[in-house]
Amino acid sequence: MIKRSVLIVDRSEETREVLKTALERRGVRTFAAREARRGLELARQHHPDLIVLDLEVEQSPPTEVCGPFAEQSEADRTPLVVLGSCRRSLFGQLRGEFVAKPYHFGPLIRRIEELLEATGRPRARSA
Amino acid sequence: MPSLFVIRGNDQGTRFELDGPAVGLGRDCSNRVQLHDTEVSRQHAEIRRIDPNTHAIADLGSSNGTYVNGRRVQQHRLTSGDQIQVGSTLMLYTSPTEEPAEDVAEKVKIASPRAADDQSHIIHSVTQQEGSRLFDLQAGALESPWLARAQANLQVIYRTALAVSHTLDIDQLLHRIMDLIFESLEADRGCIVLVDPDTKKPLPKVRRTRKGVRSDEKITISKTILDYVLEKNEGVLTTDAQEDQRWSPAASILQLGIREAICVPMQGRYDVVGVIYIDTSSSPQEIIQKGGVAKFSEDHLKLMIAIAHQAALAVEDTRNYSAMVQAERLAAIGQTIATVSHHIKNILQGIRGGSYLIEMGLKDHEESLVRKGWGIVDKNQGKISSLVMDMLTFSKEREPDLSPAELNRVVGDVVELMQSRAAEEKVTLQWHPAEPMPTLVFDPEGLHRAVLNVVTNAIDAAGEGPQPGQVTVRTHYAPGEGTVRVVVEDTGPGIPAEQMETLFSPFVSTKKSRGTGLGLPVTQKILKEHGGQVLVESAAGQGSRFVLELPAVIPGSGPQTLVR
Repeated sequence: MIKRSVLIVDRSEETREVLKTALERRGVRTFAAREARRGLELARQHHPDLIVLDLEVEQSPPTEVCGPFAEQSEADRTPLVVLGSCRRSLFGQLRGEFVAKPYHFGPLIRRIEELLEATGRPRARSA
Repeated sequence: MPSLFVIRGNDQGTRFELDGPAVGLGRDCSNRVQLHDTEVSRQHAEIRRIDPNTHAIADLGSSNGTYVNGRRVQQHRLTSGDQIQVGSTLMLYTSPTEEPAEDVAEKVKIASPRAADDQSHIIHSVTQQEGSRLFDLQAGALESPWLARAQANLQVIYRTALAVSHTLDIDQLLHRIMDLIFESLEADRGCIVLVDPDTKKPLPKVRRTRKGVRSDEKITISKTILDYVLEKNEGVLTTDAQEDQRWSPAASILQLGIREAICVPMQGRYDVVGVIYIDTSSSPQEIIQKGGVAKFSEDHLKLMIAIAHQAALAVEDTRNYSAMVQAERLAAIGQTIATVSHHIKNILQGIRGGSYLIEMGLKDHEESLVRKGWGIVDKNQGKISSLVMDMLTFSKEREPDLSPAELNRVVGDVVELMQSRAAEEKVTLQWHPAEPMPTLVFDPEGLHRAVLNVVTNAIDAAGEGPQPGQVTVRTHYAPGEGTVRVVVEDTGPGIPAEQMETLFSPFVSTKKSRGTGLGLPVTQKILKEHGGQVLVESAAGQGSRFVLELPAVIPGSGPQTLVR
């Protein structure tokens, strides 16, 4: 079976480390970036099965940060999980699944697994 | 545009604009100025335009005549403010005095002392305080009781204006107003009731009784009168003596005396903010002596209305000002809470992440996971403790906890503590203590905090670039200057000029999620507490150099409390 892959875009090294450790133990391949620009590069290069994006990765407005990732995940038809401390109502106009900060890692990991299950068969796209 | 405004008659309140070369005035509907007045002729008069802002009135052979300012006229050139009477209708003629717009600055010149066209010199001067005696009664004025009273009233109003312009405390203001009222009117008791702006309920604020009047007695203001004054916005003069003497057996007045009262609205710019109430009692003896003459008159009522108006304006101003200050304060508190919450949230996120790994490691009996998780938890514990310490240091005025201590040891401890962080960021941290360094009097914990914050920043800055960075920490003792310095240099990207201004502003961080924005403000505060300062030299691309300078106080050499 081909490994599923997740891209983590988060400024916090700790969060990246925790998500990487937890997902990799579940047999998920991970890519991680601490900046939006690098994150997009990885997304376009590896077409991960799911993207986890922390909106605070840049200081720009949430819609601006989210926009290019939403486009990418739409093109790849893969889920986008957005972590942010903005209000859910404000997030209504953005694409993706919103998780409010501060969140618990257990439920977040479970949700990522569910979404990976739901997207069906892994596509052999990883480089 | 010139106009006629009817101030008396059936058409009272109507304004007629005079916008043609000739405007007819009369009872007939063909007239532009049609008046519903049977004493006015059908074609009574005509108003002719001489130039755009000048008119003349001509009588057209009316039965009852045309009067300007009380004098009958056939033809009359009108000037603004003239009163025209036709029949029983009285009108006011107004015409704008349209002067061509001019640049005031051109017409008013502030002449320099040596300017040739300024020949004026000071022949008399009056201080601002002396101006307040403008309305002092003069001996001559007393010959005319009317003039004396008018002058006294003006003086009261002037003093009211002065009193209200000097305070922003509503209670103090109301007390001053009461003082003035008691000085100028023969009141026995008085109180000021303010209407609560939110609940609209009247709340008594100030109560005053004249000396010699029983002060424990309750002032009862009739709700009817209070409501009347508040709703109608009218001042009232009341007496409990029956007006109609036929119904009032003189005996009862002689038994009980008479109580007169004045209650006036405090009309402000926008609203009635409250009422002022005063009353006075005449004993039966007084009534007999003075023959029952009332103490309060309509003049007193008018004076009270004027005073209350001044007071109301001041109350409104004060309330607006407080509301503004309050709003600003709330905004600042909100901003602070938002920033602090943000930091705490990030720390909490870290702790949750670490705990999650520990949980996972315990479940799977994997020590490496537990270790990794613990590392994260431990680091965040440090972050929260440092945030709390910084907030505490910053939150209050405090005296530094002075004791003799070794500066090199304090700074050395910081360097040692920060070595692991420096290694993580691939930064070399060097330490050059000055020798010899005497024992000095300072707050060791405070200085530890101050140096720690600067060294942390330096490591973060030096670690930013792709090349391995370097941070150098030195101490320097200058006995001649009586100062000691801690110098922290880094090879980081430097501070752009535009960030220099906000460098010491609390909660302004350029380190994104890593900084609380409290580090440098705290360092500066601690140095200031010691009578020292923080000096910064930096330029974009050049690295930064922070100098913490403080007075070198040798133990036992003098007073150990520092002057800040």
